Amino acid sequence: MSGFLGPVAPDGRIPPYQQTKVAAFLISAHGALARQFAFMLPARLDAAWQSELNAQFYRETEIVSLLLRATSWVLDPSLGYMLASWESAWLPAPVEGIADPRLAQMIHLAALAHAVHAGIRPAAILPIEANAQDPFVMALRRIEFESGRLLQAQILFLKSTDLAPHRDAVSAALAQRHAEVRKLWRELLECIGIGVPPA
Amino acid sequence: MPFLSHGSYRIRYELDGPAGAPAYVLVNGLTQYSELWSAYREALAARGFRVATFDLLGQGASDKPRLFISQDDQVAALRLLIDELGDRPIFLSGISFGGLIALRYAIEHGKRLAGLVPMSCFAELSPQLLLLGNALRTGLILGGTSYLQDLLLPMNLSDQWLKPLLDKLESVKRQGWLVNDVYALQNLMESFLDFQPLTPRLSAIAVPTMILNGEFDFLTPRALHETLRVEIQNSSLVIIPRAYHAFTLEKGTLTADLLARFAEDVLAGRWQGNQAVWVAPDQPGGELTPFPAGYDHLRAIPVKRALP
Repeated sequence: MSGFLGPVAPDGRIPPYQQTKVAAFLISAHGALARQFAFMLPARLDAAWQSELNAQFYRETEIVSLLLRATSWVLDPSLGYMLASWESAWLPAPVEGIADPRLAQMIHLAALAHAVHAGIRPAAILPIEANAQDPFVMALRRIEFESGRLLQAQILFLKSTDLAPHRDAVSAALAQRHAEVRKLWRELLECIGIGVPPA
Repeated sequence: MPFLSHGSYRIRYELDGPAGAPAYVLVNGLTQYSELWSAYREALAARGFRVATFDLLGQGASDKPRLFISQDDQVAALRLLIDELGDRPIFLSGISFGGLIALRYAIEHGKRLAGLVPMSCFAELSPQLLLLGNALRTGLILGGTSYLQDLLLPMNLSDQWLKPLLDKLESVKRQGWLVNDVYALQNLMESFLDFQPLTPRLSAIAVPTMILNGEFDFLTPRALHETLRVEIQNSSLVIIPRAYHAFTLEKGTLTADLLARFAEDVLAGRWQGNQAVWVAPDQPGGELTPFPAGYDHLRAIPVKRALP
């Protein structure tokens, strides 16, 4: 089992069936983040930090838009079941040890976003032979690059002194989210012939 | 691939060389991974040493803590690995960040060591190093691992090493880019946020210590190594000619030879530190020469040392 997408076509393009599955997963994950950021975003900003919610919302939406247009899609009946399982995985989960429901929701969202932005590295599964000018290849690179930047908001929040009294609860929620997201990503890659060592 | 367990974390390690032999434990720099010691494993094993390499927490195949990595945990992981080696002479060497972890181990558990080799190392964050570290962290945040590599390569390696690789730098960077995650590197860098200088504790290191410093090390210049030489009584400082911060990559054969000779001298009772300053040979096997008497080894031009 290879660690990379492919084998690529002679022109360096990733096989469309792999593009379809990878893009569907990423759209599901980043789309869920976009929806949840939109839900958290007030109509009128009351605090400076909320401008970051606005930025995150639009950048997640951009990722979804980019993948919709850059992917060479093929019909894949197995996606129906997979999509259902992915979408249920992104749903808010209670954070043990956090009684305040609004704070718990914010920790959940930050943990999910941290797991998606830090734990999923779509450019790292591109083989050397991939055509750098191919839209899908460029999209995966862009998403990984943007994820590193988007991640900074989650790092700042989850490491903030405000959450210091809840550090154990935050760490546990984050570890759980990372494990869930990485498991789904690993399973997806395995079903298209890519082996990723467990985190 | 064997792992050690530290709490809920797993630390990947590798042992090579003859069982039962004196051991060298090599500690990675911040952006490194244990495969970068492959040439050292072979060279030191051929000289009769057991060689232990590992990925620090946050690196390579070891666990990558999500939010915080404590330098205490890195020292604890190193301790586990050295315990794994049993009762035999242990020589500990680390480069840059790994040298710092090795220094901390030597301060806390020095009796367990037969010798120590800090390379491109520091015990405190000088203003330059602090600001460079901050800038490198910002580079990582804004430009990702690839941009951090772009900053480090020209800073830490010579023109002679870089020139033939200029048209294939992406392939040179690729493995490091693959195994390093932005958040994990950032956590490693941010483990310095509560860093306390080690300088007041260095005098606790009594074990034979050979400090290696590249002649042209820009990131951790001579003055930072001088602190180690002055504070560690049984030490000597060896300057590697025409070498930069990452000389373990660029001058692997020479460095492995120096490591082996140091350990052989210590084991044979020949080694004497005397806080001396030496210049390493250009090639493995060559003679070390004393730094010219009366001249200031902290200067880049030949200036007579001020008399005390």
